[in-house]
Amino acid sequence: MLTCVWCGRAFAPAITVTMIWQWRPLPQPALCKTCRDRLTPISPQHCPQCGRQQTTVEVCRDCRRWQDSLYNRAVYRYDAGMKAYMQQYKFQGDYRLRLGLQAALRTALDRMDYDILVPIPIDERTWQTRGFNQVTGWLTGQHFQQALAVTATHKDRPQSAKTRQERLLTPQPFELVTGASDLLVNQRVLLLDDVYTTGRTLRHAAQQIYLGGAKAVTSLTLAR
Amino acid sequence: MTAFSDLFGRRSPVPLPGAPGMVTSHAIAAVGQRWQCQRCNQWIAATDRLPNGDWYCRTCLQLGRLTSRDRLYTIPEPNRFARLVAGGLTWHGQLSPLQMQAAQAVRKHALGGQRQLLWAVTGAGKTEIVYPALADALARGWRVAWVSPRIDVCLELAPRLQRDFGGVEQCVLYGGQPVPYHYCQLTICTTHQLLRFDQAFDWIIVDEVDAFPLATSPMLQVAIDRAQKAQGSCLYLTATPGERLQREIKQRKLAVTYLPLRYHGYLLPRLQLKISWRWRQQLRRGRLPAGLQRQLRLWWTTRRPFLVFVPHVADLPVVMAVLMQAGLSGGTTVHAADPDRQAKVQAFREGHYHFLLTTTILERGVTFPKVAVAILGADDPVFSTAALVQIAGRVGRLASDPGGQVLACCHSNARHVQRARAMITRLNRQGRRQGGRPC
Repeated sequence: MLTCVWCGRAFAPAITVTMIWQWRPLPQPALCKTCRDRLTPISPQHCPQCGRQQTTVEVCRDCRRWQDSLYNRAVYRYDAGMKAYMQQYKFQGDYRLRLGLQAALRTALDRMDYDILVPIPIDERTWQTRGFNQVTGWLTGQHFQQALAVTATHKDRPQSAKTRQERLLTPQPFELVTGASDLLVNQRVLLLDDVYTTGRTLRHAAQQIYLGGAKAVTSLTLAR
Repeated sequence: MTAFSDLFGRRSPVPLPGAPGMVTSHAIAAVGQRWQCQRCNQWIAATDRLPNGDWYCRTCLQLGRLTSRDRLYTIPEPNRFARLVAGGLTWHGQLSPLQMQAAQAVRKHALGGQRQLLWAVTGAGKTEIVYPALADALARGWRVAWVSPRIDVCLELAPRLQRDFGGVEQCVLYGGQPVPYHYCQLTICTTHQLLRFDQAFDWIIVDEVDAFPLATSPMLQVAIDRAQKAQGSCLYLTATPGERLQREIKQRKLAVTYLPLRYHGYLLPRLQLKISWRWRQQLRRGRLPAGLQRQLRLWWTTRRPFLVFVPHVADLPVVMAVLMQAGLSGGTTVHAADPDRQAKVQAFREGHYHFLLTTTILERGVTFPKVAVAILGADDPVFSTAALVQIAGRVGRLASDPGGQVLACCHSNARHVQRARAMITRLNRQGRRQGGRPC
């Protein structure tokens, strides 16, 4: 029996014949089936730019408005279940919940093609109060470079509390850390963030990475 | 009252600078090799460490995260209340002679500062029995908390106390309450909210003490002990005390007052057992046990409101679909995570629904007039002996309609079903000795 990190209930993971046949240690899922089902993975039918779940595979309306060539992929939809997860993990600060999605993120990262992984940083005040970076929490030993830092002083309001219009008007919050250019020159960079809402944050970050001399910038978010 | 009163007897991670007599302590303290949360008294798991080196408590996370960087601030409870006339009691009802007897006993134990249990059958009028003692306590300037592990119980109780103790300032606390906390003499709250208090109350009344999650949570039991003052005491109310309380009665660690008869003097309705062999397989094929369906249809056509209890939330839509197919319309389902839970229960009480399909969340603390009850799968382990007795106790709570049926459909005559029936029989035997009438 295992204990689910989200709901705290004991559960027995399903074991299939394939798992036995593979002759490897059995997987130890961190979430029970009920909790896993609260999150909806994004199917192959998504926007080719931002990765949003939709019924067609055409560029979505938001991306047409941006008129650029961003390439983003997301693992889960940002629905009620994901919001509940983010609420507990990020805003209440339950660091142990990171274990719940590490496996899913690892699979998603393995599917992406990149040289350097750059997680989106958090500012100093958030680090003090929250005590962890929600993005790097999901990584399990993957090598990453903290090439970005937050310049802006602590935001009076978090990004998630703003309207779309306000978010789009946010000024550039990131800068490259010293010596980042040496790392980034002629590399394919993958940005990693928690939620893609308007795409403003990721575009700001991508801009800075390109200034550092990167060859290509793509991104992966947990939710869209 | 000064603004500092918010800290009286309360532990808060936010200090009030300049407050006289403010005491502070670490939120998470090292005890030997381990770390312990000072709010919920639980040990911190070795893995619950943040990358910045702090420890954090996962157990009481819902009340706001505490890390080893935080401190808790409190001002020892000063009992700074206005003097009350007659304890603020504005209730003019009459207690029956049996209730009066019980009320006197409760009052005597409370004033003696004894831990006590009021063991009264469902529908005995436990709330009113406590009134004289509560009025006495409030008149003495005691700070009192009326707590329950169930939010429904708190929400049903609050307006009653508001009405019956009109002279006392009160506040209601539960997760997601709309009104912020303020210092007052009578606090009505869920047991989880007691974690925020520190030696605040002279007397704590714990309603439905055997209910989930209090019965299985050592954290909440500690919370009750720590929220009362060193010389304070508590009163447990229940119709079905668990093993632990019954043992304490035998060991004479707990004073007890019995009341085996309902306030209207009628006996408890018996649990009618109906063996419905393989009911779950039947349900999968879209059918309810024939006897149950016949009974539900009878209630439905005679316009008697009824509750149907099922073991799991997942069973609710299935049973609902079957009932709809059978033509029993005008009902709805309610479960713990239902956003409209309060509204639906209230609508059923007012007669807007013919029936309610529910899980164990409505097993106790709620009164519906003239209701009948059916339990599908009473032998499922989620229905404990106490739960079954409580469910049966939803029936016949009004003096104008003391009868009513309780139908329990099970696959087998499981032991806890037998125990529940035996408990009702035993209580009825005692009740008959006190002059109870069969209905």
